[in-house]
Order: sequence, then C-alpha cells, then structure tokens
Amino acid sequence: MANLSVVGKSVPRVDALTKATGAANFPSDFRVPRMLHGKIVRSPYAHARIVSIDTLAAERLPGVEVITTALNTPPIPLAIGFCDKHIFPPDLIVRYVGDAVAALAAETEDIAEEAASLIKIEYEEFPAVFDVNQAFEKNPPAIIHPHLAEYHLRSEQVGNKMMRDLERPNVSRHFKIRKGDVDKGFAEADLIVEDRYYTPKLQHCQIEPSASVAWFEPDGTLKIKASAQSPHLAKLVICHAFNLSPAKVIIDSPYIGGSFGGKGRPTTDPYAVLLSMKAHGKPVRVGLTREEHFHCANSRIATTTYIKDGVKKDGTIVSRQLRILVDTGGYGDGAMILVRNCAFGAVGLYNIANFKFDSYGVYTNTAPTTAFRGYGSPEITWAIENQMDVIAEKLGMDPLELRRRNLLRDGDRDVCGQRVVSMGAEKCLDKIRHWIEWDKKPHQEEGPWRRGKGIALGTKFTTAGYQSSAVVKVQPDGSIEVRHSSNEIGEGINTVAAQIAAESFGVSIDRIRVLGGDTSICPYGHVSASSRETFHIGNAILIACSEAKKDLFEMAAPKLGVLAQSLDIKDRKVFVKGQPEKSIEVTKLFSPSGLGYAPGKCEIIGKCTFEIPAIPEDPGTGQSERIAVYYMYGAEAVEVAVDTETGEVRILKNAGCFDGGTPINPKMCEGQIEGGMTMAFGAALYEQQLYGQKGELLNASFHDYKIPTIEDVPDNASMVALLEPVPQPDGPFGAKGIGEVCSIPAPPAISNAIYNAVGVRIKELPITGEKIVKALNKKGNNSKA
Amino acid sequence: MKQLMHFKVNGKNYDLAVEPNRTLLEVLTEEIGLTGTKMGCNEGDCGACTVIVDSRAVCSCLILAIEAQNITIETIEGLASAGQLHPLQQAFIDCGAIQCGYCTPGMIMAAKALLDKNPDPTETDSRRALQGNLCRCTGYVKIVEAIMTAREVMKGSSSKKKL
Repeated sequence: MANLSVVGKSVPRVDALTKATGAANFPSDFRVPRMLHGKIVRSPYAHARIVSIDTLAAERLPGVEVITTALNTPPIPLAIGFCDKHIFPPDLIVRYVGDAVAALAAETEDIAEEAASLIKIEYEEFPAVFDVNQAFEKNPPAIIHPHLAEYHLRSEQVGNKMMRDLERPNVSRHFKIRKGDVDKGFAEADLIVEDRYYTPKLQHCQIEPSASVAWFEPDGTLKIKASAQSPHLAKLVICHAFNLSPAKVIIDSPYIGGSFGGKGRPTTDPYAVLLSMKAHGKPVRVGLTREEHFHCANSRIATTTYIKDGVKKDGTIVSRQLRILVDTGGYGDGAMILVRNCAFGAVGLYNIANFKFDSYGVYTNTAPTTAFRGYGSPEITWAIENQMDVIAEKLGMDPLELRRRNLLRDGDRDVCGQRVVSMGAEKCLDKIRHWIEWDKKPHQEEGPWRRGKGIALGTKFTTAGYQSSAVVKVQPDGSIEVRHSSNEIGEGINTVAAQIAAESFGVSIDRIRVLGGDTSICPYGHVSASSRETFHIGNAILIACSEAKKDLFEMAAPKLGVLAQSLDIKDRKVFVKGQPEKSIEVTKLFSPSGLGYAPGKCEIIGKCTFEIPAIPEDPGTGQSERIAVYYMYGAEAVEVAVDTETGEVRILKNAGCFDGGTPINPKMCEGQIEGGMTMAFGAALYEQQLYGQKGELLNASFHDYKIPTIEDVPDNASMVALLEPVPQPDGPFGAKGIGEVCSIPAPPAISNAIYNAVGVRIKELPITGEKIVKALNKKGNNSKA
Repeated sequence: MKQLMHFKVNGKNYDLAVEPNRTLLEVLTEEIGLTGTKMGCNEGDCGACTVIVDSRAVCSCLILAIEAQNITIETIEGLASAGQLHPLQQAFIDCGAIQCGYCTPGMIMAAKALLDKNPDPTETDSRRALQGNLCRCTGYVKIVEAIMTAREVMKGSSSKKKL
C-alpha cells in the first residue's frame, strides 16, 4: 500500500472533538418539551401466570397519562423472524424476573415510579427452571415456551432451516457440524482428553444506559431517538411490531454510548412507541435504570461445553467432539443465531480431520440473551484453549508448539469446508512469544505470591450474506459527504469512512462529512455488528466514490479535451493522469459560480450496496464453501501473580497481537484491542450474573457486578496491543475487522497462566479467588493423601 | 414544592426553581441544559456524571442540588476557554482516549481535579484518581497516556509563564 496519505494513518477520530467538549448528544441525554416519562412494570416471579392486574389506584394518581397492560394490549411481536418475545406476553405467562407486564407514562419520572408501585398484579406461580442441564432434559421441571413449535421462522435470519430437538421441549434450536468420523478418530488416537467447561451470563455494561424518546408528528410520522446499535434493524422491528409503513418511521441514533451487542435489539423503543401511541402521539421517554439494565436488557448467553479430543503422540489432533448447551434465558430470539454461529468459533483455527459439533439453544427462567462481543466465539474458545494446554501437558509438549502443529494454513479447508485465506494466527503467536519471553521462567519471590505465564489463541468470523450501503456526494467546493448504513457506537466507523473517502478523492480528512445513524437520510444496511463494518462499509464507500468520480470525470473530460478514463482527482482538482498541470478545479464544474448544481447531472452522487453472499450450509453437516466473509486471528500472552493464600490474581503483563487485515487507522485498532482485552479480564476474573433461588438477580449494580477499573489493568508499559496485519485481498485497502477477536483469547490465556503459576485449573468462569483457594486446598489434600 | 435556588456553574449564575429532591446531575442536565455531564448509573458507581464541586471531583448524581448552591461548580462545558481546548481535552483527542465518548466528560473532569491539585502526578496517581470512573471501551491505556501528555503540556506552559 504505497503512497497512501490518509488511510493507514492514525488520524484523530472525527467525533473526538464533539465528545471531548461534552457537545455530543446521546439518546439518553435527549429531552423534548411536553415529554412524558415512561416506566415498565416488571414481574417479580421467574415463571408465573398473570391472574389479574388492578390499575385503579395508579390511574387516580395526578400526572399519570396512560397505562397499558398485558391484559388489554394485543400481541405485539418484538422480532421479525423467529419470534418468542412480545411487548407483553400474549399468553400472560412471565418467563423471568423482570419480564414486562405493564407500562405507563406520566408527567415526571417520580410520578411514573410511584404509579408503577400502585399497580396491583396477582400471579399464579409456576415451577421454574434455572439450571440449563435440567432445562435440557426430556422431562424438564418446567416447559418455558409450550407453543414453541408454532413460532415463526425467517430463513435468512437464522441461516438455514432451524432444527428442533422434538424430544426436548425447552430446546429451541439444534445446530450440527459433521466432518469425517470422530469415533474412528478416537480409535486411532494415542490420547483421549475429555472435559467440561462453563461460561456464565454477563452484562455488556455499556456506560450509557438504553433510552428512547418516541413521538408522532401530526402527519402520523413516528420519530424515535433510540439507543440502537443498528438503527435500520430497529426500524424493521418497529414497523413490523406496530404495522407501520417504513415511509412513516424515522429512527435517529447518531452517537451511542457503547453497545457490544447489547443494544442490537430494541429494548426501550417499543415501549416508548406503544406509550406515545396511547398518549395521542405525545413524546414519551423510556430509559432503563442501571438496575433494569442488569435485570432485563439482554445478557450474554451462558454456555456449558463438553469437549472430547483424540490426539496422536506427535500432537496431531485427529478427532474433536464438542457439545454445547447454550442457555438463552427466558427469551432467545436475540441468541437464536448465536446457537448456530458459536460453532464458527470452533472451526477457524485448527486443522482437524474428524470433527463433530452439536449446539443446543435451551430456555431457562433467567434474563433473556443476545449477542455480546464475539458472538459465541469467546465461550467456545474458553473450552478449546484451556483444553489445548491440558493436552500439551499430558503429551509433555510446549503448548505453543502444539498449537502451531495443528493450525490451519492458507489454502487449507477448515472443518466447515471453507478455504482459508490471510491466516495470521502463527505470526501473532510468534510476536507474543517474543514479547512475553516465553522460554524464560517467571521470576518467583518469597511469600505467598506465585507467578506464571500463559498464552491462548482466538479467532472470530464475519458472517457472509449481510449488506452495507453508502451514498457519496460531491459538494460544489470539492468536499465530500458520505452517508452510510451504520452508526457510531464507539467503534469508530465514521472516522474509517472519512479516511477511506478522503483517500479515494485525494483530499484531507477535514473535507469529508460523514452521516450515519439516521434512517431518514442514510441508506439501508444490515447490522453494525460481526466486525463487519470497516470491510463492508469501506468497500461500499470505495465503490460509491468511484461512481461519483466517474460522473465528475465525464463532465471534466470535454473541458480538458481528453477521455474520461484518463482522468484522476486530487486536492479538489480533476487532472490528466501523468500530466497534473492539465487540470480543472472541481468547483468550476458546478454552476452558477461553483455553488449550485452540476450542469447535465444536477447532483454528483455515487451509491453502492456491498455484500459477500453466503452459501447456505448443508443442514446435516454444516458444510459450506462460504459461511464467513473472512476470519480474524490473534494471540494473547499474559503473566499473572496468584496469591496462594487468598486466591487473588493480578495481571502483571499482558500483550495481545491481532490480525485484522491492514489497519485503516492503527491507533484506533490499538484502542479496540486494549479495550477488548480489558473487557475480557473482567470475564476471566470476576464478571457473572448471579441468581438467587427464585431466579432473582443478586448483583444488579456496578457495586456488586464489578467490571475492570483503571486500577485493574497493568501499567501502560505492561499492557500492549500489537498488530500483525495480513492484507485481506478483497478488503478495502486490505482491511478486515478487529472489534471482537481482541476480546476472545484473554480468559483462557489467564487460566493457562494461573495453572502455570499454582497448578490448578478452574474450568468455570469467572476464576474467582474463592475457586482458586478451594482448588488449591483440594490439591494439597490429595497430594498429602 | 419547588424552591428558589442559586447555582454557580462554569462562572455563570443561575437562579432556578427546583424541587428539593433533585440531584445536581438532574439540575445540570435537565434544568440548565448542560448535557455534557452523563448519567451512567445514578448510584455513584460509574463516574460518568463527575463534575468539579469546590475543587473536588464528585459524582453529581450523589449530591442534592440544594447542597450545591453557592459553591463553584465546573462541568465539561466550562473547560475550553476563548475557543481554546483545555490541554486534557486536546490530549484525549490526540491520544485516541475516546471511543464511544460517554465516559469521556467524567474522565476529563476527574483528571482535571487531579491536575489542579497535583500538577505532576505519576501514572499510579492518575489511576488512583480515576478509580471511580468506569470505561467499557478503551481499557484505560490511552486515557492514562492522555493524562500524562496533558501533564507535560501544562508543566511546559506553566514554566513558560514563570519565565
């Protein structure tokens, strides 16, 4: 990539100034005059039937404007394809503590809260099931969705024909991969290693809580200021839920205060819309409290993974079998694709001749679930990358060497049948090996603290078959306006978009204006997720820029007396290639006087919708030539200190090296890596949603659900983000993505380091001090015996 | 019942009729319209609503407005002067310390309170001062880098003033 002037440079983010001055307006800041405050009334039971709802006392409270309940609201679906969730349960059955049963709007938040407390609801409690293994049984203690078989599917949403396990009433989906013959592989193996790993439910903990303000204009147009990770998807859901024309729904989500998957599906918008409808179109704000966020705003799936590997003495893994129970909570719509896609966290790294994978989506009476940075890959990787170290120890092999021996290489087919390209995992492994001084034992001091080193690999796919769009407009002064189908949730897409457009037109980045997040002015596109934005929107912008330039060149060609094909553009001048002195300023192509329209063309606009189509997999074997657009790779090395008396773990040094293709903005990629690794420290050491015996969440605040603070990460010299760019042939300037893969290897790397330090392996996340002490005591007793 | 209250925010005086149970955060964002201060938890756990009250960084969600009368209150909107960004704002931009940006105003205010008190903090001092400010995007690396950068810039300009 020679001669690039904006792409590949660490320019400051285009949104940094507005955010640093406090001027950036987030949905949760948004207020309008006459606005009502909505409140959702929620179930205190995990599984129960609503018997009666008495709203009389609440209605009498001055300032209460509207009340709507499960008893008087028609079924309003909250998903387009597989739909197990409605605004209120139409069958009047609540399925987790926090399920919505009524909503109201009042003049102030205080009145709304008081009114909510005055609504009397009688329930008939049902047996509930919280344990995924019990829920998975053929005769479970509770059947959570008795009418599951009647729920509608939409094939493009769920990948392919969704398979149920008809004998297990709480199983919503069963996904399979089959390659070779695992039993034959196990028979040929010199060593069999079998184990069970667990990851708990987590909260995204975006610092901005979800909030929506919805109102109807006099002409019936619905406007929503929404905390939407994907405004176009949110719009589809709202149009479908309320049977509204897409022409009359506008969602605006300019800046979102973090999402990580959690704001991917509407949580507050539908309630704001419903209440506004009932209040004759008045603006209604529904904002979640932090406590509600923990209870109800969708969490990460919990997984139980059974892994069995057959290995040859030389370290070759000949057979791998994985069975995963995915706890999707009371509602699994947001997690339904996850039950399939978590599989691809298991296929992208290692070359294994015989492979069998089964994942099951299982309902429990706990919080509903959705995507969370990595889409199932972190959960599967937790099992696999612990297992790799267990195998290495049993074989007496270096764990790095074991991984290297089994890695996929460019040109191989992965276990799903897709050809491997731009595989950077081995280079990443080499870099962190060097950084952590792998061959040097950690320095041990006197006292209870023991040090250890660990490494792990990670991979993440980007799903094929999703579109992104861009519209590029040339302004009469040669500035460029880019409208794209995504929005700025913190990932930096507006900056990436500006850099790519600036490079294409040969202008400085301050000549680019980027618009995203507003469905009324930005083109349609699929989700802002799956580490897909830089690649898809970047490619769409590049093609849209070419289209716009073609128009400009056609206008300039006669004026310069050459063919359009011989023209190029830089510094707002169209010039003849090889003869830069033969040029015309862009502004001279517009009239009158370089301000208005382009004669004969009116506006100079290029547009593009970009997609890499998927080839649907065989439902029996999961095999396909193209499930993923590409895979991203990475390796992480960590040195920890473990207090053998208290079990406390300190991360002393940490380096992650990731291959996300050629970076458009290296500093922003580093930022993603540093943030992704830190988020994963929390998942490794302390984050989990804790439930009581009645299914009530016990730690619904930042006080009780700890996320990493600035004092929990190593000092800057010991916390390193490295890039190993392997250019992606079809990526914009060689780029892929980076946002998810960087949050995948840390937990197993930390687990491997703890094992290296004190010789115990905790297989259920998080690795708390209590678990370490218990394991150390057990080990001590065993060795005494 | 509303009471007449007087606030001094970013050097400006405000006389407002406010319910006595309103927090300083609510008055700043909803009454005065300074929405740069962010609500993240309303429980004093996340630091997104950090403002400087009487030279101390505090969570504005934990203070009743009635307690914040007649004392100097600084918010993110008051940091830039005469169109010139505060060195911390510039450093946050230059170092890439901002991602989603929701924690940013609170981070910058907490860092300013530190630098106002201690012009030469170490990395450890900075981490201690910002331990109550949560960020879910950045991993804090570039935030620390920004504070260290601003420290150097501010040391440079204050030594110039002395000359």
